[in-house]
Order: sequence, then C-alpha cells, then structure tokens
Amino acid sequence: MTLHKILLLGTAMMGLTAAQGAAQQADNAVRFAYDQALESPDPYFTTLRLGVILGRNVWDTLVIRNLETGEFEPLLATDWTWADDETLELTLREGVTFHDGSSFDADDVVYTLSYVSDPANRIVSQQIADWIDSVEKTGDYSVRIHTKGPSPAAMEFLSSQLAIVPDGYYSGPAGATEQALPMGTGPFRFDSYSAGGEIVLARNEDYVGSEFKTPASLDRISIRTIPDQQTQIAELMSGGLDLTMGLPRDQAEMLAQMPGVAVESGETMRIVFLQIATSDESSNEALKDIRVRKALNHAIDKQAISTNLVGEGSNVINAVCFIDQFGCTEEGVTAYDYDPDTARALLAEAGYGNGLTLRLHAYRERHISEAIINYLAEVGVTVELNYMQPAAMRDAMRSASVDLAQNAWGSYSIYDLSASTPVYFGGQPDDNNRDPELIEILTEAESVMDPDARKELYATALRRIADEALAVPMFTLPVYYAGAEGLKFETYPDEILRFWEYSWQ
Amino acid sequence: MLIYILKRLGLAVLVALCVSVLAFALLRVQGNAASALAGEGASAEDIAIIIRTHGLDRPVVVQYLTWLANVLQGDLGTSYFFKRPVAELIVSKIGNTVILAIMSLAIALTLAVPLGVLAAVYSGSWIDRICSGISLLGQALPSFFLALCLVMLFAIHLRLLPASGAQTWQHFILPAVTLGYYITPPFMRLVRAGMIDALSNDYVRTARAKGIPSHKVVLKHALRNALVPVVGLVTVQLGLLIGGSVVIESIFALDGLGYLAYQSIGYRDFPVLQAVVLLLSLVYVVLTLLSDVVNAWLDPRLRVS
Amino acid sequence: MTDTTPTASIPTPGASMKSPSRLSLRRIAEQPSLLVGGGIVVLMILIAIFAPLLAPHDPFVQNIAARTVPPVWYDGGSWEHILGTDQLGRDYLSRLIYGARISLFIGFAAVAIAGVIGTTLGLLGGYFGGRVDMVVTFLTTVRLSLPIILVALAIVAIFGGSVTIVVIVLGLLKWDRFAVVVRATAAQISRLDYINSAKAAGASTFYILTREVLPNLAPQLIVIATIEIASAILMEAALSFLGLGVQPPTPSWGLMISEAKNYMFFSFWLIAIPGTALALLVFAINLAGDGLRDLISPDGRG
Repeated sequence: MTLHKILLLGTAMMGLTAAQGAAQQADNAVRFAYDQALESPDPYFTTLRLGVILGRNVWDTLVIRNLETGEFEPLLATDWTWADDETLELTLREGVTFHDGSSFDADDVVYTLSYVSDPANRIVSQQIADWIDSVEKTGDYSVRIHTKGPSPAAMEFLSSQLAIVPDGYYSGPAGATEQALPMGTGPFRFDSYSAGGEIVLARNEDYVGSEFKTPASLDRISIRTIPDQQTQIAELMSGGLDLTMGLPRDQAEMLAQMPGVAVESGETMRIVFLQIATSDESSNEALKDIRVRKALNHAIDKQAISTNLVGEGSNVINAVCFIDQFGCTEEGVTAYDYDPDTARALLAEAGYGNGLTLRLHAYRERHISEAIINYLAEVGVTVELNYMQPAAMRDAMRSASVDLAQNAWGSYSIYDLSASTPVYFGGQPDDNNRDPELIEILTEAESVMDPDARKELYATALRRIADEALAVPMFTLPVYYAGAEGLKFETYPDEILRFWEYSWQ
Repeated sequence: MLIYILKRLGLAVLVALCVSVLAFALLRVQGNAASALAGEGASAEDIAIIIRTHGLDRPVVVQYLTWLANVLQGDLGTSYFFKRPVAELIVSKIGNTVILAIMSLAIALTLAVPLGVLAAVYSGSWIDRICSGISLLGQALPSFFLALCLVMLFAIHLRLLPASGAQTWQHFILPAVTLGYYITPPFMRLVRAGMIDALSNDYVRTARAKGIPSHKVVLKHALRNALVPVVGLVTVQLGLLIGGSVVIESIFALDGLGYLAYQSIGYRDFPVLQAVVLLLSLVYVVLTLLSDVVNAWLDPRLRVS
Repeated sequence: MTDTTPTASIPTPGASMKSPSRLSLRRIAEQPSLLVGGGIVVLMILIAIFAPLLAPHDPFVQNIAARTVPPVWYDGGSWEHILGTDQLGRDYLSRLIYGARISLFIGFAAVAIAGVIGTTLGLLGGYFGGRVDMVVTFLTTVRLSLPIILVALAIVAIFGGSVTIVVIVLGLLKWDRFAVVVRATAAQISRLDYINSAKAAGASTFYILTREVLPNLAPQLIVIATIEIASAILMEAALSFLGLGVQPPTPSWGLMISEAKNYMFFSFWLIAIPGTALALLVFAINLAGDGLRDLISPDGRG
C-alpha cells in the first residue's frame, strides 16, 4: 500500500459514500458519460452504441424480444401473423402517444418503414430495412408489410433497430428534419440536445409500453461526451458521474476497489476481429497472398490478449460471429494457433521474409491495437497505426483504403448471424474482401426460411472465411460498467442500457 | 495618426485574406469534398448533383471567391459530421472558450504582477531566483501533465472542484489555472523588466530621496509605468489563449471551441476545422490591430517608424 | 497548449553584445544556470545517443503476463525492471531511455528546419529592407495569426502521424521568432561601417550575408534555438498526448504520458516518470537558454 493509495482511499471514503450518491438520489437523476460524440441523435443515422441506446430509450419498436425466453412479445404491435413467407400482418396498440402528444397509428408505421427502406434516404445500416418491399395501411391500427423475399430475420430487425417515428417526421433524405428535438413514443423523451455536447432525457409521463417495457422510474438522464477515460474515472471517483460503460479491464478492476463505486462486468455480443482487405480495389498486394493472411493469424496470441488485457468474460473466437447468434458455429471452422515460427516461415515463403509494412485502422481499444502491433513486429511485420474516430474509420473502410481493420462489432444486439458476418463479407459497404462465393452464400442464406438450410449455408460461409484466412477472429469483449453505489441497474449482453429499469436504492 | 491606422488596417485585411486562402486550401487538400458532403452511400448521381449545386466544377478561384462571399455573409458551410450549419455550432461553443480565456488571463496576471514586482525589487537576490524558477517551471511543465495532476489533487483527493465539464463557474477553475500558469512567465518577465527599468528612473529615485516609503514608491509610481507594455501583451495572449485551449478543453471535456476543433479533426470534419482556424486567426488579427492602434495612440513615436 | 514563450526574453541586439570568441570559460563557469541546465541537457543527449547500450531491455518487447509491474522502490518491484513495466509489460526504463531520442531528435530537427527558414527570411528582410522586408514582415504576421496547435493537429491528421511528419510540421510552423529577431539584428548590422566597406570592396551579397552578417547573429540564434527546442519538444508531447503525433509503439514521452493517464489515479508512477523526464528536459533547456542569454548580454538580463 503506497502513501498515494492510502490518501486516495481515505479521501474517497470520507466523501463519496453518502454525500454524492444522496444528491443524485434526491433529484432522481442519473449522469452518464460516453466517450464518443454522437453524430446524430437519430438512431437511423449513427452506428454508435450510444445511438442504439438512445434508440431503445426514446423510441419503441413494433415488437420486443423477451430476453429470458428469446420469444418476440408485443410492444407497439399487439398481434401479428405471417400470412405467407413474404407478408406480415400486424395489429397496432391503441392509446399510445408520441412525446408531443399526437397519437400513434398505422400512418406512423407506414411512414417510418417506407422512409427507412427507401435506399435514397440512406440510413446508415441498410440491411436492417432493405428486406422491406412495401408497407400498406389496412386499418387505423393495422398494417401489412410485404417483404422482398423470404426474410427470416425480419422479426429480429422489427424488435431491435426499427424504431417508429411520427408520420411526416423527416423533411428530406439522410435524416433531415424540421423538428427541434427527436421524437418517439419511448419511456424517455429528449429534453435537450447539443451537438457534441450534453444530451438530457426526461421521463415520458404518459408512457404506455407493454408488459416487457415498462414506464421509467428515474426523472432525468443526462449524457455527456467525455472522450478521455481518465476524466471519466476522475468524475466517477469525485462523484461527478453516476455511470460509465466501456472502461478497460485494468481501470475497472482498480475502480472496483474504491468505496462508493460499484463495478459490474458482463459478457457481450461484441466480437473483435481484424478484417483483412483483399478486394480488387484494395491496394495491398501482399494481403492477396493467402500465406500472408495465414501468417497474420498465426502471429497474434489472441488467448494471451484475451486473458490478460481484456479480462474475465472474454472468450476467444475462431469464426467471425457471436456464438449465440442464430447460425453461428465453430464446427469445422479452422482455428489458427499462436505460432510465430510458422508465421515467419509462411511470410518467408510468400517472399516477405525481409519484412512487410501494413496499415492498421482502429477506433477503439487502442491498447489491444498496440499489443497486436507488437505481436506482428515479432514476426517482421511493421504496422502503421491509424487510430481514428468511428465515422472516419467507416469512411476509410468504405473507400477501400485500409489493409487491416480492427473491428469491434456488436451486431446491433441482434441475435441472428445476418447482423454480423454478412456486414463484413456479404457484399455490403464494409466488405473489404468482396469474395463472390461468400457474397452468394450469404445472400442466399438471407432468403431461406428453413432454419436448418440457413444454418448450413452460414456454416459453409464461416468455414470459407477461415480457410481463406480473410480475417483474424480474436475474441469477445466483455463490457465493464462503473456506477455510483446505490444505483440499481442490470447489465445485458446486448450492451443496451435500459434506463427505464434503473432506480436509486 | 489616421494614416497610420489606415495602413495598419490595410495590412490586417491583407493578412486576413491570406489566412482565408490557407483555410480554404485546408478543405481542398484533404480530398473529395463532394462525396464527403453527399455522405456515405451516396450514388454517383447524388454526387453529381452536389458538384453542380455547390459549384465544385467551376475554376478554383471562382470557388474561393464564392466561399469567401458566403463567409462574409456568415455562412460557414455545413458540418460533415453533425450535418448542421457550422456557424450554429460555433456560436453554441464560443462562450465557454471566451470565459476560459478571460479567467486564465486573470489568473496569469494575479500571479505575474506580484511575482514580477518582487523579483524586480529584490533583483539578483534569492527571491528573484525563486520567482524566475517558478516561472521557468511553468514553462517546463507540460500543460496536460499539470492539468491531470490538478484534477487528481483538487477533484479527487480534496473534492473541492469538479473534474470536467462547463456547467458552473467552478468547472472553469482547474482549466483556467492550468492555462493561466502556463502563460504566466511572459507576463512575469515583462513586469520584472519594466519594474527594474522604472525603479532606476530619476523620478523614482527622487521620490525615494524625498523619503516616501519604499512600498509606496514601488506600487504607486514604478508599477504604473511597468504595466503599460503588459496591456499590449494581454491582447496578444488573449488571442493565443482562445486558440490554444485545444488540449486543456479536451482533457476537461469543456465544451468549447478548442474541443469542437479537436473533435472535428477526429471526425475529418473539415468545414468546422476550417471555420475555427479562420475565426481564431481573425480574432488574433483584430486584437493585434487594436493593440497596435492603442499603443500608437499612447506613444506617438511608434507612428513614425 | 499555447505558443507563448516570451518574446521579452530575447536579448535586444546592441552594443553590449559580445561575440562568442570573447566569452571565456571563466565567464561560463560564473553562470550556474547555464552549468546546471547545460549539464542536464548534455547528459540527456548522451543517454539518447547511447540508448542501445544503456537500456536494460528491448523497449518494444512486450510481456502481457507481467504488466504494470511497479518500480523497484515499491512493493512488488524488482531490479529486473528498475522503473517497472508499462501497460503492455514493456520495460519502462528502456522506453524512457529510447524516448529521450524521440524528444531530442524532434526538438533539434524541427528547430533546425525552422531556424533555416526563419534566419533566411529574417536576413533577407533585414538586409535588403524595402519591398523584400515588407514581404517578410507580411509572411511573419500571417504565420503569427495562425493557431499553431490546431494547424499542426490538422496537418498531422491529414498526412498521418510519424516522427518525420511531426518534425516537418513543427519546422514549418516555428520559424517566426527566428525571422523577427534576425530581421531586426540584420537591419542594424547591415548599416554598420564594415559592411559598407565590404560592399565597396566588391564582395557579393551572398558573401556579405553568410560571412559578415550571419556570424554576428550567432549569439541570438543560439538563444532563440534553445527556447524553440524546448517549445518544440513540448508541442510534440502535446500532439502525441492527443494521439495525433508520434504513433505507437514508438516510445515518445508524450505518448507514454498519454498511455499512462488512464492509470494515473491508481499507479501514479506510470505518468509521473515520463512527465518528470519531460519537464526536467524542458526545464534544463530553458535554464541553459537563460544562462546563455545572460552570458551574451550581461546588461540586458531580463
């Protein structure tokens, strides 16, 4: 115990335990910090986790997934049936109002789904809505959705990302709107929003919800952007924050020893993998050699990184998907063991025995990037790190100007493989391989209704990715939440903060 | 006097124009403005429309002049990242930065004036050495390192001040102290030099000879003279402070102009960056112009040279 | 981070100036600040040069099973890693030693570039006067009006962070003080008699500038250079701290501070060690600069 730690513990004990928590309990608010600025408060126009979180708290979806049973349950829709493989009929809940007091009905659903499924409106993740062909109103409180073909993941998207906005909300493509604040029907409403600054949510007093999404207990949520983790930690320790998520393992473990701070960790669906660019547009010829790609797989000790740097709740993966997602399997998928000698030999064989320089693009977990760089240096691969904001990295990937992309993909919390592997290998904008065979298999799988046939197609794709070494699958990321003691909250693998369930003890 | 002001004004306008060319170039060197404006997933047609509506197919000089005309009318373009008018973003952030700059300056002066006077009065003694040591240390300590240490002491250990944010005036204290300490040395040196100069002046000697108490001589007569050049430095430092708070604003998550600029670099949001660079340069140009004119008014000799 | 090194601290050129040859060793010995500051700087330069011999470990080899081992004087520390290991298990002392190379190299190289640009502009402006001088003054004013940190950040963001880019960017941005001081001094010197006689004797302008004017500027140049080296080292550290300077795994002190900041509330030594090294180096350079200034113009101290 150093003097410094004694000081720290002593002062922390005096201050935090009662005073700070009590202040926040009194006004029944939670102050939350996130490390990246939100490009848009509209969940359709950001890929940031914070956008997904706001999406669930401020908006509602038609159906909701019961996390215990895995079944779909009513939310804005009370009842639904598949008339055939390509037609879904839904009955809507009556008596629901938007945050401005206007009532919710079939027009809003038709408007929302038509807007987001039109590619001209350019929502950021096309795959969540591109299965919708058309939506028609069949009554004041009933709609019919026609799909472009069999769409096995339809319910998944309807229960997660497809938030319903009021009729006429947008004034043009790309999310343009005349509304001062975003508006939905969810348990919280926007109280204020400052671009790149603070976001304040207030409880929606008229929230109806359903058995599976209930009215909120907290009055207010304030969300600040604090890019530096050490500033977040300082705020937590000095009582200026009630909750943060995503701290690295080391910091979370040390914070856990501080009185007044409670740390919870949870496994998540988020997978870390290095995507290796091999498409025709990609300029790096070395990566088009399978021996180089295999060498990269052998060079990195993902088990050591997972155990030491990432910590408990992290599991090594060999397939680029989250194991609990429908269709994800590691059966028959080649696993590359940590073997720097083989890696060196493969590189020498490919003609890169004297060294090779690659670019690595990353946007989070910089310490993991650095560990990767050091492992690759061991086998003679020099890596130039391009560490950037997620939006900038997305642009770089979509313009095929990356060699290795360190992705940490959370699948939008969707328990179906269609939300993970195809994003990077199925011909979508982030696909830096553009492998025709993979694109064909993955596209086919999205229109097959028979679960077993789908599973088989996905397994074939995953095996091909591994055999061709098109990526370096690494591990899942646990997420650490650090909060003020007395704040009652539950964590979920989908990394969604369900603020409506939070309360102060 | 009028001729001097006009000349000086002409130079300021020329400098401003030159800076605007550089700021305009900044947006162009980083690549394809049209596809960035159109956003991702835009089709070739969308991009073609953007090129036409934004006049990106016209000669560069014409584009520059159009842009300049827009800027002069207060239209600074649209943020690539936030998809909002840049002017709106800047207006919402500039207040915090100005508060921070003024507080930093106040702190620097309250430190620099007494230290400078002490060092001058006891010139050459150990007091002088300690004072210049404090000032040297201020320049050697990286401001971000000092900021982190202050957060640890005052926010975490003592729990006296908030660690980040800009909600109340208390939130500005730690960043202002960090920045203020960093800019203290130039002020201190100037006060010290001015005081040494003033103390050796005849009228101060006369005052002393008359038996006026020493502290009165120092404070009333010498200090007043020594502070004149400090006013000039204040204007220049104010300009630098407004532009120089990038690191400090980002550490303290202080939602100001420097923080906005830092974010915009991360997001490759060049219209915002361009506007901030232009704005900060103009602030500097205007402040130095004012300071020159004031100095010329105070000291007629300057007008001739 | 502000660019606010005091202009007031530059010696005013004038009669009291001494040429270097007239400075005896005895007078140097009378300057304690120069001795102490210069001593530390020389020591750091030696450490940087002999880094491969001095560093106990390879600064790049990680051992992620033995991370953040504390320095030897804490519980759990060992002589194996005297200053402990960093967040990836790399030997901290070795990284610190190699980091001296980065800081010093960037400081000296950037200032060399800035010195050449600034001195050339200043010489031309001061010697020729008139239109040439107007152009030089104008360029200097434009440069001064640019927010230096922001511009540096933007350029590094566009072209990518590396030691070379940082050196070039700082070199291109930090010439203003050289230009201002050299211009003023060159203007004075060019009016002196011996320059006129050299002109009369038919010496070329180039000869006069490089052989007659420039050597007389040496004292000022050295003082400005020390101030600017210190400031360039701090700017590199600030850029690296913001993640836009030197990229990992290069051991830059600014980057080390940046990577240690997440640990600062728990393992303060991780940030204190590179922070102290950086502050010490900059302090020593400034101290040496102060001493040099006093040495050159003993009457104009302050």
